[in-house]
Amino acid sequence: MKLSLIILMLLFMCRPATGAVGCTLTDPDRDIRRIFPDATGYRTEFITIQERGGREFAQQVEALLGDKLDPVHEPLDVPYAYYTVLKGTNTIGHMHGVNQKGMFGGMQLILATDLQGTIVGFYYQKLTSPDARRFRNPTFTDPFTGLHLDDFLSQDTLPSEEQAQSQLGKITDPSKQSADDFNATLRGIRKNLALLKLFKLTSNTTRETNRKSKK
Amino acid sequence: MNLFIVSLKNLRHKRIRTALSVGGVGIAVAVLVSLLGFDAGYQEALQTDIDRMGYQVLVTAKGCPYEAATLMLKGGGGLRYMDQTVYEKIISDKRIDKITPQLVATAFDPERSEGRGGITLFMGITSSYRELKPWMKFHSGNWFSSNNAAEVIMGYEVAELEQRSVGDNIFIPGHDNILKVAGIFERTGTQDDGIIFMPLGTTQKIFELPEKITGIGIKLKDLTQLSAFEEDLYNEPAIQVISMAQVKGTIFNLMSSARILANAIATVAVVIAAIGVINTILMSVFERTREIGVMKALGASQGEVFCLIWVETTLVCFIGGVIGSTLAVIGGRLVEYLFKQILPYAPSGRLIIISPILLLSSLAGTIIIGLLAGLYPAARAAAMRPVEAIRTSD
Repeated sequence: MKLSLIILMLLFMCRPATGAVGCTLTDPDRDIRRIFPDATGYRTEFITIQERGGREFAQQVEALLGDKLDPVHEPLDVPYAYYTVLKGTNTIGHMHGVNQKGMFGGMQLILATDLQGTIVGFYYQKLTSPDARRFRNPTFTDPFTGLHLDDFLSQDTLPSEEQAQSQLGKITDPSKQSADDFNATLRGIRKNLALLKLFKLTSNTTRETNRKSKK
Repeated sequence: MNLFIVSLKNLRHKRIRTALSVGGVGIAVAVLVSLLGFDAGYQEALQTDIDRMGYQVLVTAKGCPYEAATLMLKGGGGLRYMDQTVYEKIISDKRIDKITPQLVATAFDPERSEGRGGITLFMGITSSYRELKPWMKFHSGNWFSSNNAAEVIMGYEVAELEQRSVGDNIFIPGHDNILKVAGIFERTGTQDDGIIFMPLGTTQKIFELPEKITGIGIKLKDLTQLSAFEEDLYNEPAIQVISMAQVKGTIFNLMSSARILANAIATVAVVIAAIGVINTILMSVFERTREIGVMKALGASQGEVFCLIWVETTLVCFIGGVIGSTLAVIGGRLVEYLFKQILPYAPSGRLIIISPILLLSSLAGTIIIGLLAGLYPAARAAAMRPVEAIRTSD
């Protein structure tokens, strides 16, 4: 009897994965504290493009992304999880992830950002690739810290020689095989920042103001 | 009709007490209905899951399944393999309607779960797999181009999770193989939705398991031959036979002890709630001694007083039953979610089925409990003598 149960358990270990389209943090308590050591709590929110205006809103996302959203893997009703990081009652940042189609499987790209939408941390929660180790290496992921959606947007308009000199342009593909996963990573991060801007940040002028005041 | 109105008015006079009694009955009934609904739903869901496996008998290699499970959970291969010759030997049995060999293989991906590692399951199959599961239709793409093709067919859920479409690549970690997605199955609501299928020959080659399989699924022409068929296979060395009926029985046996305990707790809750109702009504009777005395002095018969109190008790239980049944129906999804979190194995589909018959039975049950619980307080009230009752209350 016990025997048959174990066999059945083995069979059922292949049960379908749940939450296939959304991207939530595996362990929010641990993941948030790792990037925001001062955090005392967080608030979770699920937002869909559908509820924010549907197709019209998607067009705004696509404009910032510089690409079309894939109707199969990026439908409008995908719930995006946003973790508002708190220190006491003050908001100190955001964490959010997106799924992105990679060359060998789905990627889960997690960004931690400050209140202006500047990246303060980036990692792959899920990545299947022969070059996964290279992509996960901090020498590749760390240079994304400090980037903002504006850097991606301005990269589109810069002359090619200036593109290579920008912070974003200096980040090179760690893969030895194909640029697909590198390009997918850049697209995923940009999508993540675009969604953050449209979902959570009312305006990106705050960052400019902050930058100027620091100067 | 008057009796009901008078009873309702009496209950309304002590609103908090009545509400607490009704609430107690309601919670007890909600728990009982949910558990009874779970009994029915779990059996049906398990039966559906087993039916949708497509086979009645599973033949696997002999060995300690505990060890295999442990090794597998730790990320190693750990599965027991048997020679494919066993399949070739069994296939000629005339009692068999359909038969399929399977090779489950695991690949350890050190980069999974943020670099902490994890396993991915693959299943090597032949076209006979679909003969056993004719409901498996293609969402997109087609069957493998050959039994040795470097291709995969993905279950719907895993394709969605991995964002794969037909023509995309799949990487097998640890073996450095890249395969193409040949097809994606429609959602079936079974474990197949989460499996990555490969041709049997390809699986044997990639995982270096030539002529090996992990299981054989069998469907017989005539189910009455099952025992004799199993008996014959028991004589085969190096294999063990698991019938799905046996698996179902095992799960039910394991569940039954938990079920009995849970049902016992729910029954105790109902009994406690009934005692609470008796207590409430009895207190009400004592408080209304003068009122009952006056009623009797004005000509109310023993039977009328008895019925009045009896109806009050029954009403409390009935209203509690209605509230409890409503709670069970509304909260069914939540309870189902909790069960799925707690249970080590929960079948797919609805786990709690609250049928109209179950609801009517629970309401009938609460009315009977009400009638029984009301007997003593009603008898006490009916037995009061008018003069003594008025004097005592003064």
